[in-house]
Amino acid sequence: MSLLDVRNLRKSFRTTDAFGRSKGRLVAVDDVSFTLQAGETLGLVGESGCGKSTTGKLVMQLLQAEQGEVLFEGTDLRKLTPRQMRPYRRQIQMIFQDPFSSLNPRMTVTDILSEPFIIHKLAPKREIRDRVIQLLEKVGLKAEHELRYAHEFSGGQRQRIGIARALAVQPKLIIADEPVSALDLSVQAQILNLLREIQQENNLSYLFIAHDLSVIEHVSNRIAVMYLGRIVETAGAEDLYRSPQHPYTEALLNAVPLPDPGHPRPIPLTGEIPSPIDPPSGCHFHPRCPYADEKCRSEAPILTASVGNRQVACHHFDQVGRYLRHRS
Amino acid sequence: MSTLLEVKNLKSYFFTRAGLVKAVDDVSFAIAKGETLALVGESGCGKSMTALSLLRLLPEPGKVVNGEIQLLGRDMLRLPDLEMRRIRGNEISMIFQEPMTSLNPVLKIGEQIAEVLRLHEGLSEQNALDKSAELLRLVGISDPQRRLRDYPHQLSGGQRQRIMIAMALACDPQLLIADEPTTALDVTIQAQIMDLLQRLKQERQMATLLISHDLGVVAGNADRLAIMYAGKIVESGPVPMLFENPLHPYTQGLLNCIPRPGQKSALPTIPGQLPNVGENQEGCLFLDRCDRPCGPCGHQTPELQEIEPDHWVRCWRY
Repeated sequence: MSLLDVRNLRKSFRTTDAFGRSKGRLVAVDDVSFTLQAGETLGLVGESGCGKSTTGKLVMQLLQAEQGEVLFEGTDLRKLTPRQMRPYRRQIQMIFQDPFSSLNPRMTVTDILSEPFIIHKLAPKREIRDRVIQLLEKVGLKAEHELRYAHEFSGGQRQRIGIARALAVQPKLIIADEPVSALDLSVQAQILNLLREIQQENNLSYLFIAHDLSVIEHVSNRIAVMYLGRIVETAGAEDLYRSPQHPYTEALLNAVPLPDPGHPRPIPLTGEIPSPIDPPSGCHFHPRCPYADEKCRSEAPILTASVGNRQVACHHFDQVGRYLRHRS
Repeated sequence: MSTLLEVKNLKSYFFTRAGLVKAVDDVSFAIAKGETLALVGESGCGKSMTALSLLRLLPEPGKVVNGEIQLLGRDMLRLPDLEMRRIRGNEISMIFQEPMTSLNPVLKIGEQIAEVLRLHEGLSEQNALDKSAELLRLVGISDPQRRLRDYPHQLSGGQRQRIMIAMALACDPQLLIADEPTTALDVTIQAQIMDLLQRLKQERQMATLLISHDLGVVAGNADRLAIMYAGKIVESGPVPMLFENPLHPYTQGLLNCIPRPGQKSALPTIPGQLPNVGENQEGCLFLDRCDRPCGPCGHQTPELQEIEPDHWVRCWRY
């Protein structure tokens, strides 16, 4: 059994203009399915507005899906009452992009990190302080930091506090929503290494949401690519980068600027990301796709197994790769 | 190639209540006509403050306390305000990271671009609007006549950045300062915008000061590269040279900690954090994070030296 099995998830929002008049529904997550095994990292990648963060919140039950199932160790979280959900909140934790807005500015680090122990009744009162100090040391902070407030830390240190808070309850799954995109390069590497260490120590699973393809490739075992609310391709990390099967994946890989001056420049994809309120007919990607034909305009391709352990939603997946820029 | 801009020993300090902050500390560089110089470093290293010093737009309580900024032989730090205003947006223009905050939300796109042309070129209302439409076409905006009547909120992030570029190019500047021009954009849109900037640079022989933290963007778009750390340039040279043979431990650390294709093992990191750039600095500011310190590092600040032709490094090891 998979640790997490997400099936046919759907979520839409009502959108209004400045005067409160309805502008129609925005389908943020459209029939999304994926699985995640224990100890595995699934990278969820896509551009802004593709629904990757909404997917994370639906798994976490911070948003209510309209359709579909979120099976965590076989239990559908969508069917649980808030009281029944509580033990699962311990098993699934989240790390956010902006470590400043996710920490209470009026609480000391000890207060922030004690809360999980108190709420979930994980340790007797006299032991909590020791546990907090253990946590701080585990994420590379010092015991002497315990009485400081969030504003006294740098961005990287704040992200370490966010990670410590998630770890406090010994979760099985961590949903990391752009955990390093607000950080400088040298700090980003430190945090990525820390996430890797704690994964190996605790057999954690990550649903790793990010837009940076180099970061996603580095951390993921498998990757799901999203475009306008739909998953267009899932594959093992190596396969995806070596031979993308969806034209959008190919275009994304071509657009990444590589830190090597000898390399060919990125090949830009034409056009803009269409409005998710009024997405193109058929395959959402067809107006920007070099492989598109009449069928793509009218008929949305379904995510289906291709070769090996891969899935792709494209009528012409066997042709994709023609335009791929080669990497060293 | 002839020199367009030469910055010598620029020092911009911030006199804050908490004490002195040396945001830009003895920075020197030159940009030739048609050349792109990338200024790279992590947040707080002084790269944006260097750019704002060039335009004399440093925010309070910052001040340029020393140095020369020569634009085609004129020292911009000594020009009268009125003269300086003619240079901004005309000979030197700037684009920023977040185009939404740099566009006026209550004015139509057309009015905003036309204003630049009326003020600097003295064009009439109608001529200015016609030229604005032409500029929009140049930066790849479809249906420019209609877009001129749009407000900024009606456009996407990528389109807004194109509008900013159109405004910056309105007077055919000799130098474009691009401060993180694609950081707020998605990767496919980033590729479009960098392509546009590259094309315009070639067509117009325009020099660019590209400020970025993304070494991927820099590798594909700049001719020369200067790495900044704690207010100082620590290494500079032609892009291929610096990527192939980085000498400063900080440059080496930065290049090593980018996740590379196929790399699955732990990333090499630069330990520690950025130092405070305060009053009493002795020795090399990178010392605490350096993996190979040597004798004088603790008490003497290293100078930039030319290690091989056109390759400058600020480190005692060379």
